[in-house]
Amino acid sequence: MIKIKAKDVDVFYGKKQALFNISLDIEENQVTALIGPSGCGKSTFLRCLNRMNDVIDICSVKGEILINDFNINDKSCDVVRLREKIGMVFQKPNPFPKTLYENVSYGPTIHGMAQSKQEMDEIVETSLKKAALWEEVKDRLHEPGTGLSGGQQQRLCIARAISVRPEVILMDEPCSALDPIATAQIEELIDELKKEHTIIIVTHSMAQAARVSQNTGFFHLGQLIEHGSTDKIFKNPDNKKTQDYITGRFG
Amino acid sequence: MNLILFTFIVLLGFTSYYFGRKKAYTIQSTKKRLTALPQFYGYYLAIWCAIPAFIIFSLWAIFEPTIVKLLILSDYSNQGYLDDELNLLYEKSKALSRGQFTGEITPFIEASAEKYLSLRSIAQSSKVVIVLSAIIASVAYAYKRISSNSRTREPVEKFLNAVLFTASLAAILTTVGIVFSLIFQTIDFFKVIPLFDFVFGTHWYPAKAFVRDSSEALDPTMYSDTFGAVPIFAGTFFIAFIAMCVAIPIGLMSGIYLAEYASTKVRQYAKPLIEILAGIPTVVYGFFAALTVGPFLKELGTSMGLEVSAESALAAGGVMGIMIIPFISSLSDDVITSVPQSLRDGSYAIGATKSETIKRVIFPAALPGIVGSILLGVSRAIGETMIVVMASGLAANLTLNPLESTSTITAQIVVILIGDQAFGDPKTQAAFALGMSLFLVTLCLNIVALRVVKKYREKYE
Repeated sequence: MIKIKAKDVDVFYGKKQALFNISLDIEENQVTALIGPSGCGKSTFLRCLNRMNDVIDICSVKGEILINDFNINDKSCDVVRLREKIGMVFQKPNPFPKTLYENVSYGPTIHGMAQSKQEMDEIVETSLKKAALWEEVKDRLHEPGTGLSGGQQQRLCIARAISVRPEVILMDEPCSALDPIATAQIEELIDELKKEHTIIIVTHSMAQAARVSQNTGFFHLGQLIEHGSTDKIFKNPDNKKTQDYITGRFG
Repeated sequence: MNLILFTFIVLLGFTSYYFGRKKAYTIQSTKKRLTALPQFYGYYLAIWCAIPAFIIFSLWAIFEPTIVKLLILSDYSNQGYLDDELNLLYEKSKALSRGQFTGEITPFIEASAEKYLSLRSIAQSSKVVIVLSAIIASVAYAYKRISSNSRTREPVEKFLNAVLFTASLAAILTTVGIVFSLIFQTIDFFKVIPLFDFVFGTHWYPAKAFVRDSSEALDPTMYSDTFGAVPIFAGTFFIAFIAMCVAIPIGLMSGIYLAEYASTKVRQYAKPLIEILAGIPTVVYGFFAALTVGPFLKELGTSMGLEVSAESALAAGGVMGIMIIPFISSLSDDVITSVPQSLRDGSYAIGATKSETIKRVIFPAALPGIVGSILLGVSRAIGETMIVVMASGLAANLTLNPLESTSTITAQIVVILIGDQAFGDPKTQAAFALGMSLFLVTLCLNIVALRVVKKYREKYE
C-alpha cells in the first residue's frame, strides 16, 4: 500500500532551487532509505514530509505531497496534527534539558493524549520499551535526559517521537553521531518499528541502507535519479550514476 | 627636557629594532639557520633598549626629590629647627625657585632656592648621561648575543607575558586599594557610631552633623538617632523593586520577541534601536524623570484625588526601569538565541506550536541565563545614582508608598559629599560606610549572577 505520494515537488531556498521535480511513492510499513552524496537534497526532501521547512524563513515548497491521500501542502492542513502523525528523529540526538520522563511525556502532554498520571506513565513506559531503552533507564526516569550516552540519547529521541503514536517516522541520519554498537542497536530497533510505522531514513552509509531498507531512492544534485526496491538498486541499478555511487566511484 | 629625552629613547628603540632585524638577515645570508623569525631579533634588541630606560626613569622619579630635599636641608641642620619648620622651609624655597613665592624672602630661602635650581639641573643632566649610557651598554650586550645567534624568541615571549601581567596587576591592585580605603574609613566611622545604630536605626538625618563646630570635641552621643540607615536601605530596595517591575516584563518579552518571533529584518533594526536606550546618559534619564514623568504623575494623581509628591519613588523607579530594559532585553535575547536550534526542531517536529516550544523547552533551557541577566539588572538598579538624586528627592523617608519621595544609598552619598567636607568627620565617613554596604550588596549580586550564567554555559558547551 502507498502511504506517501510525492508529486512534482520543487524546493527553493530563496532563489536557489534545491529539489527538482521529485515524484516518489513510499510504501506503508516498510523502510525507505534515501541515499546520495552530501548536499543532494535528501534531507530537504525528508523535511518536506512533515513541513519542517516552514521553520526556515527563506524556504518555499511547491508541488503535492499526499499522505493518506491528503495534500499536506494545502492551506487547510493543520501542521500541529500533521506533525503528530509524522514523527522525526534528527542527526544529532537532541533530548530536551529535562528529565527522561518529561522528554517522553512532552508530545502526549501537548497533544492532550493522557487523561491521568497513570495513563501518562503507561505511555512513557510503552514508548521507552518500544525504543528498547526501558530496561536501561527504568530506575532513573527522573534524571536529566542529557546525562545518557549518545546511543541512549538517540533511542530516547526515538521514544519521544513514537510517544504520540505517529504513522510515519522520518529519520535524518540517525546513526551518524553514534558508534558501531549503538548503530547496530538502532538498526535493530528500526526493523522492529516498521511493523507499526512507516519509516523513511536518510543515510550516508550504503551498507546501512542495504541492511535496514526495503526500498531505496537515490538523490543527486537535487534530482531523484532512481528509486525502487533496495535489492534492485544495489544489485542491478538502471542508471549509470546510481551504479557509480553504489560502487563508490563518486560521492 | 624629559619629553625630548623620552622621544629620543623611543627613536632609539625603533633603531635597535631595525638593527636587530638587519643583523638577523645578515646571519641568514650566511646560510645559517636562524633561531627565530627575524623580527624577534629586532624586538629583542628594542626590549633591551626599553628596560634599562624604564628602570632608571622610575628609580629617578622615586629618589630624586628625596635626595634633593636632604641635600638642601643639610644646610639647616644643627640650627634647632623642628621637622615641620624644615618642611616649610623646603616648600618655600621650591616655590621661590619657580617664581611662585609670595611671602617675605629671607636670604636663607633665597640661597636654598638657588641651590635647589642648581641641584635640579645637575640631576637632569646626569639623568640624561646615565640613561643614555645604560641604553648603549645594554643594547651593545644584546647585539653581541644576537650576533652569536642565541635564542631570542623565548625572552621576547617572556617579556610580553610580563607586560600583560603587570597590566592586569595594576587593575587588580587599584581595586584592592579602593576596597581597603573603604574598609578603613568604614571602621573609623563605626568607632564613633555603633554598628547597631547604623544597621537598625530608623532615622537618617546627616544634616544634623553640620551643626557641630569643628573646634568642639567629638561627642558621640550627639550623633545618636542621626545615622540610622534603615530608611535609605529600604528606599534603595524599594526603588530597585519598582524599577524591576517595569524592566523585567518589558525587557523579557521584547527579548523573547526579538529572539523567536522577529524576522531577520525587524531584528536587524530593532535590536540596535533598543540598545540605543542603554547609551543614553543616566543624567538625561534623570531630568526626564524629574521634569517630565514626576510632574505628569503628580497631575495625574491630583486629577484622581491622590496626594502625589512631585519627587516620587514611582517616577524615579519607573524611569530607572526603562533604563534597565535594554540590559535585560539584550542579554535574554542572546541567551535565548544561544539555545541550540536542535531543541526547537525537536519540539516543532513533535507538533508543538511556537508558544508551547518557548514556554516548555526554550524558556526552561534559557532560564539560568535569564536569571543572570535579571540579577545584573538589579545590581545596576541598586547602584544607579543620577535618576534618584534628580527625581526622588533627598529626604530619607521610611515609607512603602510609591507616591511619596524616598532616598537611596547612592543619593545620600551624593548629598553627604557635595560641597566642602572635613576628613575624619563622621558625616564624611558615613559616605564610606554607605559605599561599603552598596559595594557588598552589588558584589554579592554579581557573584550570584555570574555563577548562574556560568552554570548555564557548562550545560551546552
